[in-house]
Amino acid sequence: MTEVSNVEIKKPLLEVKNLKKSFPIKRGFLQRTVGHVRAVDDVSLSIAEGETLSLVGESGCGKTTTVRAIMRAINPDEGQVLFRTGEDETVDLAKLPLSQIRPLRRNIQMIFQDPFSSLNPRMNIFQLISEPLLVNGIGNHQEREDRVSELLRQVGLRPEYMQRFPHAFSGGQRQRIGIARALALNPRLIVADEPVSGLDVSVQAQVMNLMMDLQDEFGLTYLFVSHDLSVVNQISDRVVVMYVGRVVEVGTPQELFRNPKHPYTSALISALPISDPRNRGERPVLEGEIANPASPPPGCYFHPRCPFAVDKCKVEAPPMQVISGRLVACHRAEELELTGVTKQGVAAG
Amino acid sequence: MNTEQPETEIVVPEQDTGTQPLLSVQDMQTYFFTDEGTVKAVDGASFEVHAGKTLGIVGESGCGKSITAKSILQIIDRPGRIVGGQVKFSPNGVGGLNLLDLEPNGKEIRSIRGGEISMIFQEPMTSFSPVHTFGNQIIEAIRLHSSLEKKEAYDLAVDWMRRVGIPSPEQRMSEYAYQFSGGQRQRAMIAMALCTDPSILIADEPTTALDVTTQAQILDILQTLQKQNDMSIIFITHDLGVIAEVADVVAVMYLGKVVEMGPVESIFSSPKHPYTKALLSSMPTIDAEPRARMPSITGSIPHPQNRPEGCSFHPRCPSYMSDICSLKEPELVSVGTDQQASCFLYGRD
Repeated sequence: MTEVSNVEIKKPLLEVKNLKKSFPIKRGFLQRTVGHVRAVDDVSLSIAEGETLSLVGESGCGKTTTVRAIMRAINPDEGQVLFRTGEDETVDLAKLPLSQIRPLRRNIQMIFQDPFSSLNPRMNIFQLISEPLLVNGIGNHQEREDRVSELLRQVGLRPEYMQRFPHAFSGGQRQRIGIARALALNPRLIVADEPVSGLDVSVQAQVMNLMMDLQDEFGLTYLFVSHDLSVVNQISDRVVVMYVGRVVEVGTPQELFRNPKHPYTSALISALPISDPRNRGERPVLEGEIANPASPPPGCYFHPRCPFAVDKCKVEAPPMQVISGRLVACHRAEELELTGVTKQGVAAG
Repeated sequence: MNTEQPETEIVVPEQDTGTQPLLSVQDMQTYFFTDEGTVKAVDGASFEVHAGKTLGIVGESGCGKSITAKSILQIIDRPGRIVGGQVKFSPNGVGGLNLLDLEPNGKEIRSIRGGEISMIFQEPMTSFSPVHTFGNQIIEAIRLHSSLEKKEAYDLAVDWMRRVGIPSPEQRMSEYAYQFSGGQRQRAMIAMALCTDPSILIADEPTTALDVTTQAQILDILQTLQKQNDMSIIFITHDLGVIAEVADVVAVMYLGKVVEMGPVESIFSSPKHPYTKALLSSMPTIDAEPRARMPSITGSIPHPQNRPEGCSFHPRCPSYMSDICSLKEPELVSVGTDQQASCFLYGRD
């Protein structure tokens, strides 16, 4: 895998190499395996310290499975997840036995999508946020209480709320509590899986601003998962576009969205509703449905829906290559002139 | 936000005298009587739907947009009850039948539901019976509202499946809902809603659960069929982008009230109500500068049980005026040539 050339990569904090994960499909009385869903199919990416890398794609593209494999919530089948620890050692999270992963877990924390089901309703805010400290045996009660007040202030909640229970908070406030909990152990990497998808627009912006502010303040590194291109555009340093378990394009949001090189990226952009009624008009609508990861088409997975597919696309999977400063997996990336975003919305093709 | 008062006309909105609206909702009130108190889910919503046009109702969670739609057809579950207002339905330019006068379980309203006025929902999985084939369900809907023979109904159903873009419809008629993908299910639901040739389609977040590329396909189909059938659509969504794509007239709701209404171009180019302005500016967009701080609305949506006094937006409003906003409730007044807003910035004497 080639390195992205235009972004100066400091030593990566996390490097994922050729990650693969498939799930067996079991049928019948004997639960015989009749096939495999290739959820993550040879994914490589790297995150530099202090940057926000986003994974974007439609449902079933493998973005959540990728982060779950990185977290070792599931065991990847193949590939490496190289994580640089605080001692500047590089460990492969994909291969370490779970007993050795546990002490590393405090370095990687997670923010979840649903702020309603991710907080235990029977625990008050103090218990929820101090739990990671307690589990790791950090501080005495008073110290933990001080830390929780500090965290609450950092995420914009009043420390007096500490004794309340999650039901007393709105969705946006609960997401702030989830963020405070993730920050408790000063993690080096925060994995946020659709953290703003469940929120209303007016609250979504607050939480995104908070995440960016915290990043500036503490030098946090985010791996951000979202299906929403607009959100991704505003929060990311670099974006990874996935389709049916594979990475199709990697680059900065400017490059990717203003000048996409992969037809799928371009199709995603043109499918986005534009918030300008004067710009309404005919635009190309992508035909067909997302390929079934249990029996993906041969060659490039996108070719049955791709308006630019040629014979080569049907037989040969495109390799990842560097084209105008970003990574793209398309046979025709160099010759295609694709539609991206212009200042007035989406340009006419 | 500036507090200048330009283009203010102190005119109480008159009924549009030009063309007779197909559906006219006046001062609708739907309350939920719970043990903890009364929730005024819809508290005085008024709007009109004209033939062949799309009314977009937009708002965040808890604003009462879905309850408004359900109230039109009187499909409110207990402890909810429609306590006031009128829904005048005038098919073919005659009549002026108040739907709220009809018995909720009576014959008349049942012939209108799914007949003259159809509805599609966000989650098509739960709207279908899991134990009946799709074909039987659509045939049942057709025969309930017409005197067609079974064979004729079958042919009509197959024809509708084809029109909404379901491949090999004859085969899919004998399949069950779980065998359809999310996008196909939504297409099937549209087919079922439209097979009775309704004059109004109420679409409650029909694309919210879908991926962007599928959403674009569904919006496309809805707009094509609308033109073919000269049908009106009440399109309910939280997504301003979608509203900009589909609506002719927009009603913005906040906590049970319509706070602003007007043609879609005016709402997006010159929003009048501070809430609409804030909502539009806090929307993440794909053409925005990456990593820029986003304008956001302070605070969160209040619980409908403790709605703020006066204008319910006042605690979050950047144009809050201490002498009036928390004391009096603003009325919907005409602002400019074609918009209405309920805010004391306008029409204050």
